Amino acid sequence: MGIRDDQKLATREKVLEAARDLFNETGYEETTIRAIAERAGVSVGSVFTTFASKAEVLSHVMDRRLGDLYAEFDRVVPYLRGSTADRLCSIFAIHYEFETRRVKLFLAHIAASYSPSNDPGVTPYGRNERLTLMLREVLQDGITRGDVRPDLDPQLAIDVLKASYAWNYRLAATCGAQASALSAAMDNQIAFIAEGWRPR
Amino acid sequence: MSFVSLNIESPTDAPVKLTRRALAKQRTRERVLSAARRLFTERGYEGATIRDIAQAAGMSTGAVFASFSDKSELFDEILTADYEVIYAQMKQAGVNGVSVEEGVIGMFAVAYGFHVEQLPLLQASIAVSWTRSETAERRNRGHLKHIFTLLNGVLLRGVERGELKTSADTKLLAEIIWDVYVANYRRAIFDAWTVEALLSRLSDQLKVILAGARA
Repeated sequence: MGIRDDQKLATREKVLEAARDLFNETGYEETTIRAIAERAGVSVGSVFTTFASKAEVLSHVMDRRLGDLYAEFDRVVPYLRGSTADRLCSIFAIHYEFETRRVKLFLAHIAASYSPSNDPGVTPYGRNERLTLMLREVLQDGITRGDVRPDLDPQLAIDVLKASYAWNYRLAATCGAQASALSAAMDNQIAFIAEGWRPR
Repeated sequence: MSFVSLNIESPTDAPVKLTRRALAKQRTRERVLSAARRLFTERGYEGATIRDIAQAAGMSTGAVFASFSDKSELFDEILTADYEVIYAQMKQAGVNGVSVEEGVIGMFAVAYGFHVEQLPLLQASIAVSWTRSETAERRNRGHLKHIFTLLNGVLLRGVERGELKTSADTKLLAEIIWDVYVANYRRAIFDAWTVEALLSRLSDQLKVILAGARA
């Protein structure tokens, strides 16, 4: 890799780190590209040569964070024990624990997934294949182990789980709830849905 | 799109007599609201400034602020008007359903039918709902509460009919159904799903959600 590429990569790193902190401290809408450049110690122009828009910056910030989170999951998932519902509760509890550390950033990520301006370089919330894949594996595993009905359509259950998971962040958004409160709400929802997929 | 509140249209309310001054003021409000609706639809919430809205309505920024204290109040007024248009229909559909599924799908058929027609405005409203101030959020939560009451009513009638278990936690059920309903809009946004496709998916999801609560 040449010096130019090295520099470009370094700029990218600095921009993503500055953006992550600013989005979380002052909010996504309030953060300008200029402020990001200033915090990162790079020129406004160089931010724009690396990213097409602020939405793309947010998308890459989240992508990187989730990369770390899912690397952790790759390690943890094989050791999950208990019923399918228990395993799902653990998976979502880990998510809440991780995301509530930077809750404003995550709220911006959810908000952006409904934003009318969709850039091609953006992966919105809900399009995260890794979460879908992980949930699918746990459900399939449950079918194999016999605590999930074999005729359950996993995709429908995944739709419901993901929708509940995101909606619970309202508790953090509107009443400053902690990760434990979010997990408790999710546990209730999982228990409820699991009652429906119990083999009978 | 009508901005007239359903309350005003209802025959039980006596028509309000307006002075000329009040009439002029109301006309200004309506002009601002229709310009704002158009711009929020085209540019999203953040993309439309009060200055843009004033310009589109052909008046000064000051004149806009005489009617609305800030942009979020203006935006909420538009959402309230829409909400009032569909609330009565959702209520009717919920009551008409002879089963829980019919009631729920009927309610959300009204909502999907209305919002998919003007998706950008809905997107702006959901996006804002995740990041807006607490005061604005409180204002909006009132509407949500009414919809939840409707949904809960449909589920409680299901319990009465013996469709759902008496022990079913209808509040939790209503919450999960709502979450899924909102999340499905992403399918309309990113995959251009039609109202029919959304409803058929919701109906399948509903089967999974209700399975554990069936009597």
